[in-house]
Amino acid sequence: MKHLSILRGGVAALAIAAGGMAQAEVTVLGWPGGPEEAALRAVTEVYNAKPDLAEENKVELLFTSRDGFFDKLQVDLAAGSTAFDVNLIATYSIGRYAPFMEPVTLSDQAGAVFGDTVLKTMQFDGQQYGVPTDLSLHFLYFRQDLIDALLADDAAKAKYAAIAQEHLGKPLEPKAPADWTWEDFVANALYFSQSVNPDSPTRYGTVIQAKNLLFNMMVFHSWPRSYGGNWMDDAGNITVDSEAYRTALSQAKLLFDLGATPPDSTSYEYAEANAAYASGQVAAMVQWNAAASELTAAQATTGTTAPPAGPDGKFTHIHGLGLGLNKAAENKEGAIAFLQWLSTEEAALAYAKAGGAPGLAAETAAKLAADRPDLVQVGEYASTYGFVMNGGTSEKALSVYEAQAKEFTGYWAGTQDLDTALKNTTAAMTELLK
Amino acid sequence: MAPRWMVFSIAALVMNFPVIATLVTAFKSPGEVSRNPSLWIEAPTLENFVTVLTISDRLNIYHYLWNSTVAALIGAVLPMIVAFPLAWVIARRGVGRAVLFPLVVNLRALPLIIFAIPLYMMYSVAGLLDTRLGLGLILAVVNLPLALMLLVNAVADIPTEIEESAQIDGAPLGRLLWHVVLPLCRPAMVTTFVFGFITAWNEFLFGLMLTTREAVPMTVGASFFFATSGGGVQWGVAAAVMVVAALPPLVLGLVMYRRITGSMVAGAVKG
Amino acid sequence: MSKKTRRENAILASPMVLFLLAILGFPTVLSIVYGFSETSFETLTRPEFSGLANFADVLSDPTFWQAAWFSLRFGLITALLQCALGLALAVYLAPLVERHGWTVAVLIIPIMVAPAMMGLMYRLVLHEFAGPLPHYLYAWFGTAPSFLGPAHVFKTVVLAETLQWTPFAFVLFLTAYQAIPSELREAAAVDSARPWDVFRHIEWPLMRPTLYVALFVRFIDGFRVFDNIYTLVGAGPGGSTTSMSIYIYESFLRRGEIGKAMAAAILLFLTAFLLLAFGQRLTKGRTE
Repeated sequence: MKHLSILRGGVAALAIAAGGMAQAEVTVLGWPGGPEEAALRAVTEVYNAKPDLAEENKVELLFTSRDGFFDKLQVDLAAGSTAFDVNLIATYSIGRYAPFMEPVTLSDQAGAVFGDTVLKTMQFDGQQYGVPTDLSLHFLYFRQDLIDALLADDAAKAKYAAIAQEHLGKPLEPKAPADWTWEDFVANALYFSQSVNPDSPTRYGTVIQAKNLLFNMMVFHSWPRSYGGNWMDDAGNITVDSEAYRTALSQAKLLFDLGATPPDSTSYEYAEANAAYASGQVAAMVQWNAAASELTAAQATTGTTAPPAGPDGKFTHIHGLGLGLNKAAENKEGAIAFLQWLSTEEAALAYAKAGGAPGLAAETAAKLAADRPDLVQVGEYASTYGFVMNGGTSEKALSVYEAQAKEFTGYWAGTQDLDTALKNTTAAMTELLK
Repeated sequence: MAPRWMVFSIAALVMNFPVIATLVTAFKSPGEVSRNPSLWIEAPTLENFVTVLTISDRLNIYHYLWNSTVAALIGAVLPMIVAFPLAWVIARRGVGRAVLFPLVVNLRALPLIIFAIPLYMMYSVAGLLDTRLGLGLILAVVNLPLALMLLVNAVADIPTEIEESAQIDGAPLGRLLWHVVLPLCRPAMVTTFVFGFITAWNEFLFGLMLTTREAVPMTVGASFFFATSGGGVQWGVAAAVMVVAALPPLVLGLVMYRRITGSMVAGAVKG
Repeated sequence: MSKKTRRENAILASPMVLFLLAILGFPTVLSIVYGFSETSFETLTRPEFSGLANFADVLSDPTFWQAAWFSLRFGLITALLQCALGLALAVYLAPLVERHGWTVAVLIIPIMVAPAMMGLMYRLVLHEFAGPLPHYLYAWFGTAPSFLGPAHVFKTVVLAETLQWTPFAFVLFLTAYQAIPSELREAAAVDSARPWDVFRHIEWPLMRPTLYVALFVRFIDGFRVFDNIYTLVGAGPGGSTTSMSIYIYESFLRRGEIGKAMAAAILLFLTAFLLLAFGQRLTKGRTE
């Protein structure tokens, strides 16, 4: 066997000479900042401390800018980069990057730890492309103090009903946010806007982040979904030009037109919307679960519940973030070992304890109930209200969101009418999803 | 002079308003940033700068600063070297005016990032990926147009009599360029260098695409510091890291501003 | 042209030519191939020739024309504003600058800031609740315009670009102004000419060439604007702030339409080529 090891040594030396930077470790490319980074660092430490782990299989973390992350990943993967063995992926981008990645087999525990719904967020074409790490979905955030005051005041209730009558055509009663339909959400937003109700304690009833940005469409599309909307039917026809989308889009448009969301919000993304809510001048908003600690810290009376209901019930967009295997990885064996370990209960619990937000099956989440009660809520919402649009994991899903962002924001900003927006969206999606 | 001071103060205030706001924000605590939007700091703190300068175990700002310095130096100096001889040929002999000059100058109008894929492939074969040299080379390309424009103008500005008298002495062309033309172009060279350095230092997209670990420049590294979950921004830290990132070009610019003002003359008078 | 001259020319031009070939040769060839092919990120190594299909695609895409129009307008307006402001400041402040050189340093600070970061900072500065500008406007006037709303977003990005790059034009004009031989002005003073006449008949003609340079550089930079707009408002609601660079970038990386992006870039380059040829004819008229 001696000659074999010599050969292997020779090949390794050649590789070093050729590559100049052949790596003796498993490299992982992720997002910097926030709890995701902290949690990933924590589990990596646990993994690297394992006594039986070979030196060359230790994990090293690389981070790159969140701005343009997926653009960089696109270039890296398409050009066959060997700069990292494992990279971050998300449900909506698996299809795009799958051709440059390899499916992985997870540990036997994965099914029990994460549950099927969550594992599915990392699947494409029936194959598992990654280990789910964090789960993202939406909460309805609201100011409990404002709601309490409203519910305790008969004059205010009458005013609320009058506003609903005027703008929605029916006299709605104020309700607890957990019982809201989207109409209640709109009525509440109007009532708490000074442009509609000069006595409102807040300047705006809500804030809709409507910058022409794909992520903002994810925040929005629980709304049409609860009216029965979908990207396409089972036969593959694009069904975005539907009553459901029309209703949701024009309800949102009403909020822009009547000044119930800041006039600049057609340029808002996550950070701006949170800053608006944090200032205390916004009564309620639909936002990512990641914002919970920030918003609660700024407004102590913040309550959270699932997004409002439509005729089809309550829905929340869900997507998973996870880690998967680069097809061109130099240390595939080591990378697979790490990914498999990452899908064990030990890793998932460590990840959650360090601040990550993994989507966990009920039994697993229960073990963390004391440390992370919020994960129980996230897990429950994901399994009860979570949805992914038909085509939402396809190769062109990101481009579909892009197209919608462009057309829908144009409608809200008044650069085009609803028919044009939906016609253009349908055309773009037909081209993308054919 | 008084009205001139007025105009100067207003211009300085208005043009620098975002910079002033950034500076102020850098000294506010996270809580104060969201609570107090005014330019008055209630409780000044160095917290943000401490964060930026001392978390080197996680993100090493000195490493990014060093990468940017090296890459920006290459990106500023190289264009001068390759553009200077050509600039003389174009200005004095009119050769290259029809094709080469517009070809190079028009690179400025193109979003060069469309070359990302082929460059990436080329760089990975040549071992230039994720190296300061590789980044510097492409930054040099970014700076070529301005360098060539300024140097052509500078050469065209030198009175031909000076060169002719040198040529009568029988000096070979190389010596003429080195000992006569180059010194006369020095002011334009300084301008080219300063603007080139600033442009190279501030470039973002190539820095993002062509580096991952070893050669990450400051502009890309900066965004690591203030990112939070969900795509949020820690404004105080962002402001602090921006201040730190803008210091090197600022110092360079301020040290050389007399040079800049002196050197544009050559290029600008005749155009 | 003698043989020796030609050889000299070749030698002197060679560093540039070789450098361009080394770095951009392969990318250019490949990009042109992609421009005439059906290509996606998965088929980078096997593009399928598709003739002029990409060019037809680009030319029939309303977003392309919208982007071209945006860039043209943005480039022209910002270049004119910057040159007008820069010229006025340079001429008016020149006596001050002469005595207090540091004042220039204060005025050129904005160009030291990375445009991408400038865009990011404007996100905070203009924010209705967290930004200082709306804060003071609300405090003083009880209201603030919606800077980034659909009605004002174009003006806002024009203003942001103008404020950052006026110093560039200012420096150009200042140096041109300072280079005017003092004897000329003194002679005018002897004739007791009014300041306006001195400017019109002596200074302005000498500074006009600088104006062409400044306008050209600022126009090109405005036309290709990317970083600051992209970080501030992205492509804008309905794509209303999509500049040419943003259009090409998004086609390329966001939509994966590589051939189309290359075709657009080729068209842009050819147009720029023609524009410069035109501009050169203008400058020729004055230098010869």
